[in-house]
Amino acid sequence: MVQRKSFYLTSKGLEDIKKEYEVLKNLRLAKTKGEVPKIWESEDLNPEYLSFQEDLNFLETRITELENILKNIELIKTPSKKKRDAIELGGTVVVEVEGDKDEFTIVGTLEAKPSLGKISNESPVGMALLGHKVGDEVVVSSPIKTIYKIRKIKY
Amino acid sequence: MKELVNFFHEIGKLKGMPRRGWVINDIKNPESIAEHTFRAAIMAWILAKRKKGLNIEKIIKMALIHDLCEVSAGDTTPYDPVLPKSRKKRKELMKTWPRFSDSEKKKIVQEKYKKEKKALEGLISKLPVNLKKEIKNLWLDYEKGLTPEGRFFNQTDRMESFLQDMEYWKKYKKPPQRPWWLWAREFFDDPILLELIKEMDNKFHKHKKPKI
Repeated sequence: MVQRKSFYLTSKGLEDIKKEYEVLKNLRLAKTKGEVPKIWESEDLNPEYLSFQEDLNFLETRITELENILKNIELIKTPSKKKRDAIELGGTVVVEVEGDKDEFTIVGTLEAKPSLGKISNESPVGMALLGHKVGDEVVVSSPIKTIYKIRKIKY
Repeated sequence: MKELVNFFHEIGKLKGMPRRGWVINDIKNPESIAEHTFRAAIMAWILAKRKKGLNIEKIIKMALIHDLCEVSAGDTTPYDPVLPKSRKKRKELMKTWPRFSDSEKKKIVQEKYKKEKKALEGLISKLPVNLKKEIKNLWLDYEKGLTPEGRFFNQTDRMESFLQDMEYWKKYKKPPQRPWWLWAREFFDDPILLELIKEMDNKFHKHKKPKI
């Protein structure tokens, strides 16, 4: 298990982690009693949970991982109204890059899914955007220069 | 044993399947999916040793199985949803990084996941139960980033492709480098891999900086 000082999570990210942790803990309990938990009948069940049902080692590994996250979590708070004009962790930013429009939410590494527009605050672009305001042009230059024009910031 | 022979035969097809990302960039004799897997596994093993506490055996196995689904699902690229048939238009498109709306991003990711999951399940369906579980769970971990190993390999896999991209650029002056850098600086966040990118840049772009 890799130990980190802290995991930045949005409240939605925390909610998802807590939900998964509860489901998996119930599953572990049910498995030790030899029961099939009711949760498996639920339609909104994440299909990935079924894999945990089949494999106890995988289940244990994931529970330990979730416990480590929950122990070291740092919740991303929405900034005060005064500070909402700048890009902070958890903020969504609309940018113009080389004539194209794109939208990123800046999140911690655990929630990062660049293919879904969730960019890590530890990535070069995520890092560069933090602290900037609407109208700023953020230059990321190594080795090819790219300008991110900030059009909108949302929380 | 019969099922194992069938499985080995099926996955052997990856040795002769060229990676689409290079095909659409008109790269001569592009590497196969199996060739990509070979180096991704070695990179993952060696780079993971630099990180504290990662399970190396798990990462190597994850690397070996991560693209098995492509035997029947095929290889996909970020350009697929907007890929023109005309070679000239395609060449122009390759100079840019495709950007999509939020809902398009979700749809692309979901469709790819669904297609690959189905393909993997079909491929491993006749394997012994424990092996089937192991392969499926390793793949899910890689896809969803469920553990530190899954999250690290998800990025290392792409790093292998980025290295191959730079090698092709050095040799053929294609694919265009701009879109790769646009993507890479938004995608990678692991400190060890970011350090590796710097070294790769020094090696491949030292004497000639890419313009496009």
